[in-house]
Amino acid sequence: MQKSKKVVILGHFGVGKTSLIRRFVTDQFSDTYKVTIGVHITKKMVNLTSEDTISLILWDLEGTDTLEQIRDAYLLGTHGVVFVFDVSRPSTFQDVRTDLKIIARKVPERPLLVVGNKTDLVAEEILAQQLKAHDIPYDYLTSAKTGNTVEDVFIDLANLLHNND
Amino acid sequence: MVTKMDEQAKFEILKELLLPDDNGVIEDISKRIQLLEVIVNDQKLLAKKVNPLVDDKLKAFAKNIPNTLGPTITATLKKEIKLHKDEVVDALYPVLGKMVKKYVAQEIKMLSEKIDNQLSFIKTWKRKFRSIFGGPSEEQQILREISTAKIEQVLLIERDTGILKAGYSVTNTIDEEMISGMLTAIKGFVEDAFHQKNQNLELIQYELYNIHLQSFVTHFVAVVISGDYHLKSKNKLQDIIFNFYYNFMAMNLDLVFNSNDLEKEGNEVRTIEKELLEKELAASFNNAKI
Repeated sequence: MQKSKKVVILGHFGVGKTSLIRRFVTDQFSDTYKVTIGVHITKKMVNLTSEDTISLILWDLEGTDTLEQIRDAYLLGTHGVVFVFDVSRPSTFQDVRTDLKIIARKVPERPLLVVGNKTDLVAEEILAQQLKAHDIPYDYLTSAKTGNTVEDVFIDLANLLHNND
Repeated sequence: MVTKMDEQAKFEILKELLLPDDNGVIEDISKRIQLLEVIVNDQKLLAKKVNPLVDDKLKAFAKNIPNTLGPTITATLKKEIKLHKDEVVDALYPVLGKMVKKYVAQEIKMLSEKIDNQLSFIKTWKRKFRSIFGGPSEEQQILREISTAKIEQVLLIERDTGILKAGYSVTNTIDEEMISGMLTAIKGFVEDAFHQKNQNLELIQYELYNIHLQSFVTHFVAVVISGDYHLKSKNKLQDIIFNFYYNFMAMNLDLVFNSNDLEKEGNEVRTIEKELLEKELAASFNNAKI
């Protein structure tokens, strides 16, 4: 059976939301940074079992200074959320708990995964120290550039959405 | 000699002769007074007696208002409207605005089409000249002008999520689910950005194509049209959409009732099969002339 689910990708400017989606959908990466204006939508089919398939409609929302600025119209009917921060820029994750509260208010009771992206830019030990020092709750650490654990994020979310039905 | 007693007896006789029903009259008067007291003290009874009189007086007063108060009221209103024109318009606009706006827009479109038709004579000569001075032939120009609107693609989309419920397409385009999402995002953006509550984005135009968006409560229908799309085509298209949506909602309702029965039996809740919906879409829109 095939279902379609709306997934929004949120996060501050330049954390790599678009790159993450691009890596997952087309398995490509580009170093050229292009700002997302408004919203960009892509789709990827995920096979959960031999019978069940889920179609993830990925809403790549433009980065904002604060998550309060996101247009509510874009969040209507959201089934799942991926919140992305840049592990190389503390300004994108030091207020993560506040950001998560805003998400919980704007998109209540929906599966949410917190992803630290750009792990290729920070040494593993330093990264671990930083995350611990700031007490950052995260689900995945990824690199859109190398493709490390990118697919895991979306497959995990697809399963959460499937089980959430 | 007449005694005092005789005088008294005579007076009594005389009194009886002159006022034979004195007691009866007094009793009658007393009864009437009592009845009047009851009427005056009982609001309902009093109203029954008085209301017709008051009503008559009021009717007469109302009838005479144009003559008595009319000139004064009119003069006051005129003065107030003259002094506070903006306030009057502002107060009336919310009430009449929506209704008038839609009506006026429709009328202006109709008028514009009528003018276009009137100008067809000029167009004919324009075509001839264009053809003479090296442009495309007159036949080609006429063909181009009379190209009727054609439905290229129809999408039934869930309003909030932007998820495609069913699609029908004459030509292959990019993924329909992505188009549905983008249309929903554009629609949401426009409606949100201009803070126009209860108003919907209805049309997106690009060169020779138009995307008509018909919003309903839970879904909207997007129809991609090529060719000359005008008010007449819009009216025809809306009829087709409304008919389709009516059938779709009827199917939904059937399913709700059937699902309730199924749930009682411990079975899974069904959803309308996409294939079935797409058949419905094709049946409704394929070869539809607009």
